[in-house]
Amino acid sequence: MLLLAALDGLAYGSLIFLVAVGLSLIFGVLGIVNVAHGSFYAIGAYVAAAAVLALGAAGLPTWLAFPALLLAAALVGILVGGLVEIALLRRVYGKEEVLQLIVTFAVFMILEDAQKVVFGVQPYFANAPMNWLGTVEVFGIFYTTYQLILMPLVAAAVLLGLRFFLRRTSFGRAIVAVTQDREAATAMGIDATRVYLITFIIGAFLAALGGALASATTSLTPGIGAGTLVLSFAVAATAGLGRIEGAAVAALLIGLGRSAAVYFAPEFDVLIPYLIMMLVLLVRPQGLFSTVQTRKV
Amino acid sequence: MLEIRELSAEIEGVQVLRRATLSLEEGATVALIGRNGAGKTSLLRAIMGFMTVTGGAISFDGKPLDTVKAHERPRLGIGYAPEDRRLFSTFTIEENIRLPAEVMKLGEAEIARRLERIYAVLPELADLRQRPAAGLSGGQGKMAALARALMVGSRVILLDEPFQGLAPVLANRYAAALRALRDSHPDIALLITESNPSLLRNFAAKAYAIERGEVSETQLAESSLAAAGLH
Repeated sequence: MLLLAALDGLAYGSLIFLVAVGLSLIFGVLGIVNVAHGSFYAIGAYVAAAAVLALGAAGLPTWLAFPALLLAAALVGILVGGLVEIALLRRVYGKEEVLQLIVTFAVFMILEDAQKVVFGVQPYFANAPMNWLGTVEVFGIFYTTYQLILMPLVAAAVLLGLRFFLRRTSFGRAIVAVTQDREAATAMGIDATRVYLITFIIGAFLAALGGALASATTSLTPGIGAGTLVLSFAVAATAGLGRIEGAAVAALLIGLGRSAAVYFAPEFDVLIPYLIMMLVLLVRPQGLFSTVQTRKV
Repeated sequence: MLEIRELSAEIEGVQVLRRATLSLEEGATVALIGRNGAGKTSLLRAIMGFMTVTGGAISFDGKPLDTVKAHERPRLGIGYAPEDRRLFSTFTIEENIRLPAEVMKLGEAEIARRLERIYAVLPELADLRQRPAAGLSGGQGKMAALARALMVGSRVILLDEPFQGLAPVLANRYAAALRALRDSHPDIALLITESNPSLLRNFAAKAYAIERGEVSETQLAESSLAAAGLH
């Protein structure tokens, strides 16, 4: 049972890492706490499920579902994320945080209802990609390959890919420069407006990718966005907002904690992630991985 | 080459530049003298496109700058070393210096050529190139900020209070670097702000005084001390 809890935790942690790292990236660069992040997750899940069901209905081979999941997430990131940034967020950068929160919260509410209009309130279930990959046996326990191998692999690829992108590519370095000092970066010729847009799209894409991956493992109902949003806030806060590697560790910690609770103390299932967050923040209010800013002399 | 005509600008409703007029010729070294809060930084930030301009105009090579976005201005050959250095602390020195060239998508050969010229002017940076910018001393940081401005500043370099906070030895070293730059790059125009005019007396050919956002021509002699309110 302990092993089963660990495997569950790994799969679950991978999923919330994808969502939380996007949230963290957006906060780190744009300074915005993006409540609408939960909607990107939910819309990613719905669009992916619809695409998988459409592929199935058309009688196309199931492996096509995997590129379809990725494509669905990219589409949601670019179209929905891009639209939100250009039409709304651009107007509130540097304004009061309350205003920014209200704007992203309003986007969240609007997108939640838009989902219901487009996809209805009936549960969506598109688990063909998960069944197609079959199961693996770990110490006598059968577990789906999709959840145990594919999801953690995607999470690891995103973690390594983001690190490489931010440190080694010239656009990644431009993002880091804008994060540290927007005006100085602009004086170096960096188009900060474009950096903000692309960062927001990447963050939205990661949330949608989390949703797309999750769509094969669970049935989709209205409200899935809110639950994941709150959980990814817990992960991001535990890690320290803006910390990419930290989000991975915190996601794993909270994922494992939650699945342990599911098996051993189900009544605390909902509570555990926040208990972990609370404990961490009590000891380290800046989060697990943030260093206290050294004074610039 | 760089002409500022009757420029007015404000920060959150407070007027910080009042009909400021200043011109910078090719290869000139011009000092802008004024005490803290007089508007020196605001004037440089206006040239870089970071100010809300309420009147007047800036032109570069006869073309108005107001339609050129802030991030496109470095491409014209304008380098800027802000006050307080403002290096990117997680990058190494060389990554900081290379950044504007990478953003402009200069080729590797061109970047190497420019780096070589920069290290010729600022040899102490060559030994520090792999050091993280966060670990630099004040003087080294100023040199790195100058080097970074040189990377794209092929026409004009704006230096905001480069001597501020430097110990006398380092200030002399920095001044020597500026003279080396003057000798090796005679075409670049330098606009240097300073609150202490005596530091620039040896090198600026022309000087302006700025007081409460108003700019007037001055001499870098005793009279300029009075004009800048410094005795």
